[in-house]
Amino acid sequence: MSNVLRPYLAAVRSTLTAALTLDNFASQVVERHNLPEVEAGTSKEVLLNPLTISRNENERVLIEPSVNSIRLSISIKQADEIERILCNKFTRFMMQRAESFIVLRRKPVPGYDISFLITNTHTETMLKHKIVDFIIQFMEEVDKEISEMKLSLNARARIVAESYLTALQG
Amino acid sequence: MDTAFRKINIDIYDEDVLQDSELYEADPRDPAEVLEDAKQRAGMVRSLLAKNDIPAALTVVLENAPYGPNVDDAKARILVVDIMTLQTLLTILNTTKSADIPGVIKSLSLDTQDTLMKYLYKGMAMPGWGDVSGSVLLGWHEKLTEVAGVGCIVRTMTDRRIV
Amino acid sequence: MSEPGSLDVVFVDYDNVRFHLSTPERKTVLLLSMNIRCWDELVQYGALDILKREYGALLSSQTEPDYNVSLEIDLEQVPTDPESREAFVTSLALLKRNALAAPFERGFATQKELDSSGGQGELMQIHYRDEEAMYIQAAPDRVTVIFSTVFREETDRIFGKVFLQEFVDARRQPSIQNAPQVLYSNRDPPLEIRHVPGLRNSEDIGYVTFVLFPRHFAPAVASTTISHIQLFRDYLHYHIKCSKAYMHSRMRYRVTEFQKVLNRAKTEVATTERKTASGRTMVSR
Repeated sequence: MSNVLRPYLAAVRSTLTAALTLDNFASQVVERHNLPEVEAGTSKEVLLNPLTISRNENERVLIEPSVNSIRLSISIKQADEIERILCNKFTRFMMQRAESFIVLRRKPVPGYDISFLITNTHTETMLKHKIVDFIIQFMEEVDKEISEMKLSLNARARIVAESYLTALQG
Repeated sequence: MDTAFRKINIDIYDEDVLQDSELYEADPRDPAEVLEDAKQRAGMVRSLLAKNDIPAALTVVLENAPYGPNVDDAKARILVVDIMTLQTLLTILNTTKSADIPGVIKSLSLDTQDTLMKYLYKGMAMPGWGDVSGSVLLGWHEKLTEVAGVGCIVRTMTDRRIV
Repeated sequence: MSEPGSLDVVFVDYDNVRFHLSTPERKTVLLLSMNIRCWDELVQYGALDILKREYGALLSSQTEPDYNVSLEIDLEQVPTDPESREAFVTSLALLKRNALAAPFERGFATQKELDSSGGQGELMQIHYRDEEAMYIQAAPDRVTVIFSTVFREETDRIFGKVFLQEFVDARRQPSIQNAPQVLYSNRDPPLEIRHVPGLRNSEDIGYVTFVLFPRHFAPAVASTTISHIQLFRDYLHYHIKCSKAYMHSRMRYRVTEFQKVLNRAKTEVATTERKTASGRTMVSR
């Protein structure tokens, strides 16, 4: 892990660990419903203060805790047009497979690139610290993956252009 | 058929509905008083910083910090105070050498540590504003979590008296 | 060698050029016809002369209906030794390439004339695809070839930009300094064709200019250059698609990796069968 990224991920890790204290909680508004309160937003006494962790304007994590669920949204670094489109493709690719990712939300919260929704059911069936590990590893690798994809695109473009023009040298 | 009525949130007309004001006790102080107070503190902090007494400076800013969303007509004024307090705090954070941070944090009282955590998150929620630097705040956050533990973050989440 | 049979095949290439290969009269006479979108323009720039030069008597006087040009190949007169047979088949396969070569050859010839007289050659437009065209213009010291190309998707547009930027930058490499100069502009057409009516001016269009100097179309290399430049668009778009496919396979791999990490979080569910004292199986509800 690069040294610059470490405090950021450490802050996300500790905040996420703190937020992942979830309990089963039936809706107070609708009988026989049991919804993630952070999504329903119907009773404000069970919603906690949302917290933001940011490295800079473009790299932010928003954690919205509630009594039985938390929502974690990530804004991924996008330095230019290429990174933007690659990030967009990658997050979309993942979100289309949300059902196999269980904690992944199908749509990101406005202003962010990808969102996770973790409910008490998830913390009951999965190990909490491993969920945290997953999120952290995702954040680590998504940056790496995007920059590697960008490099490989540039490398291919260079080879393609050079081999075409070499044949045209006259 | 007009179905707009289905979207009306009837729960807000419930007599027992929970009001924001019931979630926490409002800051009892008068806005003008708070503003005066904040100005005074800024002055004190400056003189303490000149003496390089960072723990004392932090305590001055963080103790009895103004809190709560701003419901009355003095909204704008409270905002000024909020920003002033944050600004003062950031000056302190920026001037502290990173090696000194753990010692400084250990010398703060528990309540002050909690308030400091609240301000760190507030600062991070406003990137690109003023001289907020993510890395400084993240550095403090890391050290503070080491000293005060995850509980401190939990208290920030649960305390309705948001700064 | 097997006996000649009857045949009737229609095939198309990536530029929507339609070919029809059939044996309408006898099994030993093949008719190869081609329909190309910009035929009228090509004829105007001398395509018929080129085809006559390349195919001579093969060029059928009666063009098949719905097609622009037909070649009549009498199998009994095809060369028999393998080598020249191969060359003959190759030359037939190059039918479209030869037709499209007309404006290039005219451009090269015009440049030679202008070399002494000065001035500008005619701007030749070849609308070889529905939304994309090729422009060729000769000048006293060079021939300019401009492609307009449409990127239908945003990803293509951005990938295309990366590729074309590399084409522009590649000449800095000392090993390919002799290659034609490449210019690229997104959205705004280059000066040479700005006066042409009906040019699209939207974000998804790009213009690529090749500046060919006489050394690129010296008699020895002219035909390679023509073949190469014609394929530019296909080459570019092919590699954009390849990049996208590669990204996709990478993402697939990465997502499986993430899946594994997440699966590690799942707790093991006890699967042992539990029985009551009387021997009944416990079922959880």
